[in-house]
Amino acid sequence: MAGIGFQLRKILAKDTYGATLRAYLYAGMISSGPWALSILSVMVIGLLSLGALVPALEVRQFLISVTYLMASSLIFTGGWQLFFTRYISDRLFEQRDDTVMPNLLGILLLITVTASAMALISIVFLFQGTTWLYGVLMFSNFVVLCNLWIVIIFLSGMKAYNRILLTMLLGYSVMIGASLLLDQWKVYGLLSALLIGHATLLFVFLAEILRLYPSGKLVSFEFLKSTRLYFSLIMTGLLYNFGIWIDKFIFWFNPETSHQVIGPLRGSLLYDLPIFLAYLAIILGMAVFLVKIETDFAEWYEKLFNAVRDGGTLSYIHHARDEMTGAIREGLFAICKIQAVTIVVLLIFAPNILDWLGISRYHLPLFYIDVVGVSIQVVFMALLNVFFYLDKRTIVLSLCALFVVLNAGLTLLSQQLGPLYFGYGFTLSLLVCALVALYQLSKTLDSLVYSTFMLRTD
Amino acid sequence: MSAHKTSADICLLLEGTWPYVRGGVSSWINQMILGMPDVTFSVLFIGGARDAYPERQYEIPENVKHIDEIYLEDTWSLKNDLPQRVQEPNNTEAIAAFFNFLHAEQVPSLATGERVLESLLKGEVTRDLIMRTESSWQVLCADYEKNCSAPSFIDYFWTVRTMQAPLLALASMAHHLPRAKAVHAISTGYAGFMGCVLRKLWGCNFILSEHGIYTKERKIDLAQAQWIAESSDQTLRGGLAPSSSYMRALWIRFFERIGLLVYQAANPIVSLYNGNRLRQIEDGAAEQRTLIIPNGINLKAWEGIPEQRATGGKPVIGLIGRIVPIKDIKTFIRSVRSLVNSIPDVQAWIVGPEEEDPHYVSECRSLVKSLGLQAQVQFLGFQNIKEILPKMDVMVLTSISEAQPLVILEAWAAGTPVVATDVGACREMVCGISEEDRAIGPAGEVVAIADPLASARSISRILQDPVYWQTLQRNGLQRVNRFYSEALMLDRYRALYQHATEVQ
Repeated sequence: MAGIGFQLRKILAKDTYGATLRAYLYAGMISSGPWALSILSVMVIGLLSLGALVPALEVRQFLISVTYLMASSLIFTGGWQLFFTRYISDRLFEQRDDTVMPNLLGILLLITVTASAMALISIVFLFQGTTWLYGVLMFSNFVVLCNLWIVIIFLSGMKAYNRILLTMLLGYSVMIGASLLLDQWKVYGLLSALLIGHATLLFVFLAEILRLYPSGKLVSFEFLKSTRLYFSLIMTGLLYNFGIWIDKFIFWFNPETSHQVIGPLRGSLLYDLPIFLAYLAIILGMAVFLVKIETDFAEWYEKLFNAVRDGGTLSYIHHARDEMTGAIREGLFAICKIQAVTIVVLLIFAPNILDWLGISRYHLPLFYIDVVGVSIQVVFMALLNVFFYLDKRTIVLSLCALFVVLNAGLTLLSQQLGPLYFGYGFTLSLLVCALVALYQLSKTLDSLVYSTFMLRTD
Repeated sequence: MSAHKTSADICLLLEGTWPYVRGGVSSWINQMILGMPDVTFSVLFIGGARDAYPERQYEIPENVKHIDEIYLEDTWSLKNDLPQRVQEPNNTEAIAAFFNFLHAEQVPSLATGERVLESLLKGEVTRDLIMRTESSWQVLCADYEKNCSAPSFIDYFWTVRTMQAPLLALASMAHHLPRAKAVHAISTGYAGFMGCVLRKLWGCNFILSEHGIYTKERKIDLAQAQWIAESSDQTLRGGLAPSSSYMRALWIRFFERIGLLVYQAANPIVSLYNGNRLRQIEDGAAEQRTLIIPNGINLKAWEGIPEQRATGGKPVIGLIGRIVPIKDIKTFIRSVRSLVNSIPDVQAWIVGPEEEDPHYVSECRSLVKSLGLQAQVQFLGFQNIKEILPKMDVMVLTSISEAQPLVILEAWAAGTPVVATDVGACREMVCGISEEDRAIGPAGEVVAIADPLASARSISRILQDPVYWQTLQRNGLQRVNRFYSEALMLDRYRALYQHATEVQ
């Protein structure tokens, strides 16, 4: 008989819906968490040492060294962090748990080799005026931090929050304790304490992960095959971290707002302190959003995509979409509330805090605007995380690019306008980015169901 | 005459047959192409999954000038050439009409069908637009809200999409096909749909031949298919039934709508026998366009064969066909049981390949044993039909489904009367269609399906009455020579082609 004999079964066969994007969420969150904690502990170290043996200049040298270490290692690994988070969550979705460990060791090997090379080259060519011991400590700290930023992406997947907290407590206690023991060796002692603390964190976490994902294979570079696929993630991570630091670099390398601190490293007395202090104000907001996202949003996100995959009605799909939108709205609202309270409290108590810390009140206006800026940054990060959840990689990439351009442009403009406007570049760029992101998110959510069905490419 | 340059006389639209698949329809197509060397052909082969057709089964004759291929599964793959962003259309009315025509419960007007074809050809409805734009999405959602009684949206979405994509791909392919003077589709369905498109695009005549009834066959496929159930995760949780029966209804409607479009456009609409012609009319074909052209056999090959018939010996009856349930071999065996009562020395041969359904073959063999017919019934396997038929006194066909079985024509050509079940064209063949045909007289007997006693009665009547047998033999020879020669079939199609290519 004339007939096609086509297999109708195949016709209806639909693909599973991409990868679980679950672990994604934490890409920004968890990696910013330790980052904030590191700033906090460095400040504690600084304060403790300041009162003791170490002269102010050496403390300042230490703080600037750590700041550069943080900035360079985060920019250097930011792209790999995002990429590797996605790569691992895809493998876990495929239930290929045994590929986790070899690929982790593979990427750590790669990071170690490239970070070492980069650090070596910079030290040889740029740090000619410093001692070799300082060079060795900077080199080691940089490589350890780069590795730590990669290892940290697994924390979200581990789900053993108590254990993570204990490990962090241990690491930072070791760091502070070591600094107390070693501060007689001044900047070398403090940098060694930093190295010991971060190395403790790195190896304890690494041991935990190896225990969780056993494998018969030692090292694998399979992940490199996916770099082309997720190139946008690598770019996003790079740009995001670059955006966060670019205003600082601009201030450090403008001769009018900076001075040489150690070797080639320059600092800006006026600009640095307020912004790092301000970063401590975002910890509460991030925690709140983390909880909100993990409960309501994640739940509706899952319900939405289960309804899509497993044959829910269209009205239920729309309902789940609306509920998910509501959860995002509530999450953002919660951040706004908590950050608003924080801002008000800091506005009232800032003079006292600065006095207590022994910082000149001259910094106050800049501190105020920075507190507002970093609060908006929490909102911006939250929005980026929602986009990651929805797998809108292009949007995140363009938002991060916008952030870099605006932060650089507006910061340069603020320098032209004079000290009264310092900090406005950073804050204003974040405000614009957050508003653009909000607008984009609203558009994305409106057409989410449409794009889920109609704009698929796989 | 058309002013356009053409590269072939006839564009053949073939769905899942020649040159990739062997079978009745394919060998008929081969017979047609070889039988008309003076006519040039271009071929569009429409397949399901590309890898289901690994190699061509027929050599391509000289008079086939072009072969194009399209595979349905490719058309809904998103990997192929589908842009990520598509400009929204200015008006969505054409898109809505397209959805409406294929999926709406209410049978659309004939004008809607024309309108849909037009908008497909004008590019108002394209694969990009349907598969990507928000306008199309909104039409789909509105349809779902309005019509769909099943819960699963994703099943609805993919069902609709997999129906639409091939039609859209065919319509856009039409612009690139080499032009022919007329088109000839060998089924409705996708091939028939392409016929409608090309007819409109080229302004040419469109001939439709149906061997089976496409829409009916699809309905049988769908009734038997487990696919809907198997494909859904829901099945595992047992929540499937309403969704799958709705999707089934959607598919049936889809094939009916295409059938409607095709019957409206094609002229003439050719069938093999009157039963199918009536079915076509019932499905929407205009009566005055319908036409019967039965298949024919090459009579030259059978010259002298009836004369080889030996006289005397034991009476032999035989069934020729694959040993599969649709041929109902068991009824044949049971009829031998009751035949033995009146003709104890009767020999019953079962001639045909046994590979297709070994389980059924063994069932038949044990039935022979349990009825104690080992002395009478023999399984001969595959045999040369020209040698085996003259040795049979009656050829028996117990099938529960047939179209127009060539084996009946071959039996007559060999001088063997037949006893056949009343399926497909069998009654029309045995008793005659037209006045002139019927005047020849019957060339065998027709019995009800699955009635071994009736078959046995007919066979015994023929075997026990030599005068009756001779009459039937004479009628059979006369009938096959007058109405079922390959030459006659080719002449009739040649005339159709001539008419179709000359008159625009």
